[in-house]
Amino acid sequence: MTRTRTPGISRRSTLALMGAGAITFAAPWVARAQAKTIKIGMPTILSGRVAQLGTSSRNAVMLEVEKVNAAGGLAGRHIEMVIRDSKGQPQEAARVARELVNTDGCELLLDGEASSGSFAVHEVARDLGVLCVHTCSEASSLTADPKQHIPNAFRCVRQGIHDSIVGGSYAASIAKAKRLKKWATCSPDYAYGRDTTGEFTLYLKRFAPDVEIVSESWPKLFQPDYTEVVTKILQAKPQALYSCLWGGDLTSYIDQANIYAMFSQMEVFAVNMADYTALTVVKNLPKGIHSGNRYIKTFPATPENAAWGDAYKAKYNEYPTNWSWQNATAVMFLSEAAKKANSADGKKIAEVLKGLTIRCPFGADGTVTMRGDDHTLVGYAIGWGTTIPQEPYVPEVKAGDWKTIFELEAEWKKSKGYT
Amino acid sequence: MTELEAGRAETLAPVRSGAVLRRYRDVLIALIALAVLASLPLFTGSKALLDFVIRCSAYGLFATSLNLLVGYTGLTSFGHGMFFGLGAYSFGLIMQKLGVPIPVAFVATLAITAIVSAIIGAICVRLKEIYFAFVTLAFQMLIHSTILSWASFTGGDQGLRGGIPRPPFLGIDLANHVHLYVASCALLILGLLAMRQIAQSPFGYTLRMIRDNAARASFLGIDVWRAKLTVFVLAALFASMGGMVMALFVSGAYPEFAYWTISGEGIFINMLGGVSTFLGPMVGTVLLLLLNDTVTRFTEYHGIVLGVVILFFALGLRKGLLDFAAEWFAQRRDAGEGR
Repeated sequence: MTRTRTPGISRRSTLALMGAGAITFAAPWVARAQAKTIKIGMPTILSGRVAQLGTSSRNAVMLEVEKVNAAGGLAGRHIEMVIRDSKGQPQEAARVARELVNTDGCELLLDGEASSGSFAVHEVARDLGVLCVHTCSEASSLTADPKQHIPNAFRCVRQGIHDSIVGGSYAASIAKAKRLKKWATCSPDYAYGRDTTGEFTLYLKRFAPDVEIVSESWPKLFQPDYTEVVTKILQAKPQALYSCLWGGDLTSYIDQANIYAMFSQMEVFAVNMADYTALTVVKNLPKGIHSGNRYIKTFPATPENAAWGDAYKAKYNEYPTNWSWQNATAVMFLSEAAKKANSADGKKIAEVLKGLTIRCPFGADGTVTMRGDDHTLVGYAIGWGTTIPQEPYVPEVKAGDWKTIFELEAEWKKSKGYT
Repeated sequence: MTELEAGRAETLAPVRSGAVLRRYRDVLIALIALAVLASLPLFTGSKALLDFVIRCSAYGLFATSLNLLVGYTGLTSFGHGMFFGLGAYSFGLIMQKLGVPIPVAFVATLAITAIVSAIIGAICVRLKEIYFAFVTLAFQMLIHSTILSWASFTGGDQGLRGGIPRPPFLGIDLANHVHLYVASCALLILGLLAMRQIAQSPFGYTLRMIRDNAARASFLGIDVWRAKLTVFVLAALFASMGGMVMALFVSGAYPEFAYWTISGEGIFINMLGGVSTFLGPMVGTVLLLLLNDTVTRFTEYHGIVLGVVILFFALGLRKGLLDFAAEWFAQRRDAGEGR
């Protein structure tokens, strides 16, 4: 038996026509619904050695975005985050950032990249003109160097130079009180390690001129064995040690130096110690390590900060990191700026962001400001204190003085030829 | 001409004309490919697609140049990425510090690469197999460490910041996305064509002979060291071109461009695409970038996915995709002829 086709429209054609008709009529509705949503792109490091920091950035952003969406969104538009892994490679960060804007239709960028990746994303922002808020790169030159300045990029991150000024002044006061004259340094051998250590010793000597650096060690980044470094420092017999090792490097270093009882032989200043990623991982956290605050929920000692830290812990079953509060602050800034601009348009938000002060759990006085002239975050809580082996880990933090920071930062900028 | 020589000339003539025809065929294919790629922006407004092709150009030039060493000469370099990084940094630094026109910077970068690769190559190509691989890797780490340490010149681990200036020349404005796209395509096609000519030339066949039996080549009067050094420098030049395209794409240069992982990606691409066909690395490049771009959209566990894919190629196919396809077609043809 053979089948013959009957003339006229077949069932399949009818269905296809109906489908096409439905799509045609539904398209404007779909488009309108899409326009109601605003996509924010975020390249960050979700794999490799610093994945924990990238993940904590994503967590903090999602925590804040949920709040903003619950309160009506960004100027009435529901936020949809598109977060992708850059593997910590600058070329991949640039590619992902371009893809987020060009393919995924993201209208704003949160740049969760560190170091070179942030400069790569900065160039994408320069090229595409999209509003970009850097949320993780602490390199001072990103905003201090006028060559980097573009009207559509902001930095919502603590800065190396701010930390060095506060650390130098704090360490000098201890050095004077305890007569610590012989100092050693031990920092990772790359730009961050060398720059931060150089700036710290600069301000240490400025506030305590009779300090002398008797030993310098530059272990490689991600070095597994610190025995030679520890013994070299012990042989130099310094009275105090400064280190800007961070993350896994810092915890490995402390665990290995503990074997030599290093921490009972000298005062140790480790700027990156007071971060839960380090505090909770060290096996036997020595008492009395001096550290700058990265993120701890007890500094600033306000109910808002404690509540934020607890909310994060409740949601993700771990404490936030330094990257977390910075990313959360960036979302707070965007939300507040969009409210003031009454728009989610990047250009309008950028105009409002300049010089904007918002209430924030991480502010030194309960507020933080996006400084207008160099588009960078100031007024955040910054200070130093000493560790204890259990919570709250750093019970008392001596807050840095922002007036001094501003004065010395202006001098530093001048010395670098930035102003 | 003796009778015997005349007889030989008669038999050689069709071979020569075949070679000439093949050469023209290659040029024709290149022109068509360039025309198709260059006209792509007329049909699509997708910037992502253009970005993809620009990145394919950078990695394609790099991977194919690596195949000149690995596939054609049997020199497995673990440090070829150093020339990718060198190209990106030299070009970026010349543009930032000297502000010369782009073609001048392009030629100067190639000259720098030629000098550096000749010095490194002169030391490396004396070695064989694993020793060659590891000494090239050592030189790569030396260049990478120099970039990191010489922070006042190279920007250290933060890379060349502030963007690479791209002043227009001859009506070409590389700050314009479409212009950059067409220029990248042109560089890719010209580079591939040049590498194809090298591979198909008597020199290319000398390289194959060295790969198969260097001692025999030497006994036939070939200066093996000189031939290896020449191809080492030539491959470095094309890798450097790839680096320049990448520097223009990201408007900067970063130490990661000169890190061993870039060399690893080059080897990975060659394994994916195959080393016994000329276009194998190009196919590998497209595959790897497609895989990377799609997998990273959905998961941060891309390492696992890429690992499974490479295992599939290494253990399943036991060769690159294009090698596998070429073999399959050859078997089918043979089977057809046999019938």
